[in-house]
This record gives sequence, C-alpha cells and structure tokens, in this order.
Amino acid sequence: MIFLKNFFNSLYLFFRPLIKWFLHRFTNLCELQRLCYGAHSGYKRCKLVERSLNLSKKSQIKHLVYCLNDLTSHPMSDSQIQSEIVDRAINTVLLVKKINPKYHPGFPPSFGRCVEAIYGYRRLVTIIEDLRLEQYDPNSEVHERKLMALWHNLMPDVKLEGRITKQWQEIGFQGDDPGTDFRGMGMLGLENLLYFSREYPGTARHLLCHSQHPKYGYTFAVVGINITHMAWRLLKEGHAKAHFYNLLRTGTRGYPTLEQFHQFYCYLFYEFDSFWINAKPDNLMQFNNVQDKFERTIRKVSDRENCLFKMNLSVENV
Amino acid sequence: MGFLTVLKKMRQKEKEMRILLLGLDNAGKTTILKRFNGEPIDTISPTLGFNIKTLEHKGYTLNLWDVGGQKSLRSYWRNYFESTDGLVWVVDSADRMRLDACREELNILLLEERLAGATLLVLANKQDLPGALSAQEIKDILELDKITTHHWSVVGVSAVTGDKLLNAVDWLIGDIAKRIFTLD
Repeated sequence: MIFLKNFFNSLYLFFRPLIKWFLHRFTNLCELQRLCYGAHSGYKRCKLVERSLNLSKKSQIKHLVYCLNDLTSHPMSDSQIQSEIVDRAINTVLLVKKINPKYHPGFPPSFGRCVEAIYGYRRLVTIIEDLRLEQYDPNSEVHERKLMALWHNLMPDVKLEGRITKQWQEIGFQGDDPGTDFRGMGMLGLENLLYFSREYPGTARHLLCHSQHPKYGYTFAVVGINITHMAWRLLKEGHAKAHFYNLLRTGTRGYPTLEQFHQFYCYLFYEFDSFWINAKPDNLMQFNNVQDKFERTIRKVSDRENCLFKMNLSVENV
Repeated sequence: MGFLTVLKKMRQKEKEMRILLLGLDNAGKTTILKRFNGEPIDTISPTLGFNIKTLEHKGYTLNLWDVGGQKSLRSYWRNYFESTDGLVWVVDSADRMRLDACREELNILLLEERLAGATLLVLANKQDLPGALSAQEIKDILELDKITTHHWSVVGVSAVTGDKLLNAVDWLIGDIAKRIFTLD
C-alpha cells in the first residue's frame, strides 16, 4: 500500500509542472488562484495553498517561504502578522505570478487569509514551545502566584496550610511540592490547568470530583499535565491543523491564538475524563493504555477535513 | 537446521534480563530509561502507570520496566516483581528532604521475597545539580552497607548529561550475567 502511494505521489510530482502549465493555459489562472477560488475555505484551502507554496519552483516564492518560516520561528507581535507576513506574501505572489488585483479583486484577501492561518499556526507552535521550555521556578513570584491561583480556583473553600503540604495531592499532584511535577511541559502545563480552572470553574471542579471517585479515580493535576503533553504533540505534529484552520472561520481573528490552544486543551481534558470513566479501568496503572486509545480516537477525527472540536459545556451551569 | 542450531537459538532467547526501575516520584526513572534508549528527554511528563522498553545491549535483551513513583502508585509496584533479575533504585540526590522516605521505601522492597535473587543498583541521580549529594553520602544515608541479602552497588550518575550511566548499567548486567548465565 505504502509503496503504491509513494509511486503515485512521485508520478504526480513528475507530471505536476505539465498539469499546472495545461491548467494555467486554459483557465488563465495560476494554481494559487484556482485554489483560492475553487477549494472550500477553511482547512482544505489552507492545506492546498500550503502545499502549493512549499512545492513552488520559482526562486522568489522559495525565498518567500524561507523568510516566512524563519520569521514565525521567532516571537513576533500580533500586529507584525499583517505587515510582515500577509502583506509581504500577497505582494510577492502578485508580482511573481503577474496577477493584476484590479481584475482579480477577490484573490488578495482570500489568499491573505490562507497565509495568515498557515503562518499563524506556525507562530502558535513557537509561542507554545517557548511556554513549554519555561521551567517552573519556585523562586519566581509570578510562577508561585499562578500556582496558588490554581489551588484557589479548584478549592475555593479550603485554605492551603503551606506551600509544601500534603494537600496538593487532593487536586492530584504527586507529592507535597507541585513544583516538581511540571517537568518537560514547564509553564505550559500550569497555564493550561490555570486557564481551565479559571474559565470553566464549574467543569474543572466537576472533573476534579470525578477524579476522586473511589474506583475510577485519577490524579487530576498530573493527568492534566499529561493532557498538555498530548495537546502539544498534536499541535507540533500538525494534527491540530484542521481544527485550528476551521476555527478561524468562526472567529474575528485570522490567526490562531494561545487562548484557542487553551480551549483545545480544555476540550481534550473534558473528553478524556468521560473516555476514562467509560473505559472502566482497573486502576491508575492502566493510564498509558487508555490514553493511547484516546489519542488514537482523537487523531482519527482530527485529520478529517471538516474537523472542529467543540466543548460540550452542559456541566458549566449546573 | 541442526540440533545444535536449535539449542543455540534457545539459549539466545534465554539471554533476556528483566530490569525494574523504581524510586520516589521525580527521581528521574523515565529520564534514565529514555536516555539509555537514546530518546529525547526534554518532553517528559510525570509517569502514570508504567513504561516498558526492550533493547539490545552487550548481546543481551533487556526488558526495562519503569513504574510511576508517586505514593498512590507504590502499592502497585508488587505487580511487577515477578522474575526480576535486576532492581534499579533511582534516587534524586538533590532532594535532601525526602531521603528518609527514600530509605524506608527501599528497605520495604528489600524484604520482598520475589526480589530476593535480584541484583540491586542504586543510582544517585541528578549529580549535575548544585547541592546534589555524592554517591558516598547517598550510600551512608540509605545505609546500604547493612544490605547483606543482595549484590549491590551505588553509582553517582546524571541522566541529563548521561554521565556514568552506561558504566553503572554495565556493572548491573555483568553481575546478573555471572549469576544466571554462568554455564556460558
């Protein structure tokens, strides 16, 4: 099967210039135009535009792609996206492909939206990676305050007796000092948990309650950190592209944001909780097994063209 | 295939060792497992449940079991004791507050009948951290000299830099091999 797939793929790549020339000749439109006019907006169009840009043999386009990849691998502000990425890409393509925006007024905005989504996603990966690489530091006042806020959000009626205390295990940390549990997920793990407990306190406490079930219980915070790991993997490997590209159609911004990643995390955590309880595991030692199955289910859905994960917040108002 | 080949094949199959990595949470068990297996170690999250890795080393097949160390999981450790050849006890040498708890857990393990024949390797991990106790100090605090029931050794290592890790594991494998494959 893989052999056949590879075979057809190389066959396609071989004939691609010929097909492109033929279509260009008879439609008078370049490939990017055909995609922007023809393909469904959202994931499908972005995916095809991304491929077209990456496969381009024109040196100016190659240089453009190189510059955009380089730009988005460093931190950049929201306002820079429009000027440094979108405008630059539109101008280059109009010039290289000799497209006159007067006759094709629909092309620049449509192509711009694709570029904004594609490179906005890459920028999000950079933002998330920076957050992950920021290690939890017990000497940092900001970090400590965030940790305390997490406790307060989850256990508003219980006072924390000290910084190092057994009480942390009640919300599912491993030992007396939660600072050692973030490990390779760094501040991303804490920020995810904090967002969940702040924006959806009802749901978070509902899950915390589930996690204390005598038979199907789990350690809430540490499972949360493992879910961060999973969300990070999906994002980094590009399996979250369909979700994030499709999400942009509903929002006001043209690029995915950190907040949307947090929401993606909340969705995964919420779904994992039901998945875990339905799996009726013998004990917590089954975690890897159940988590693997859960991840496979999510990956199957996340690669579909119309994928859009929506959190069912029926519990929030209970 | 001759009779001798069959015999040889069977013998090769027997060259398997089952090694169990235990220790308190945040000792670095998963990091050691991944470092030894050549995987990236900067994306580890706390282990819930267990990880297994099978790898070839020095002509032996090693089955490495890394079981989560948090308190609520320790009662499940017993499920992994059966036919263990080597026990690797991983210690966070920089976590002075919990060394007493560490000694107590180790002593409980050493009383376990199913671990009676196993070689014990104590890894004084995190030697790269400032304030980490040396292997000698760890030996004293854990009172390793009192152990008479197991072959044991203590080595100061760093899973992050990989320092001395390989030597330590080589000792463990050598000791197990002497015991169970002496006929070779």
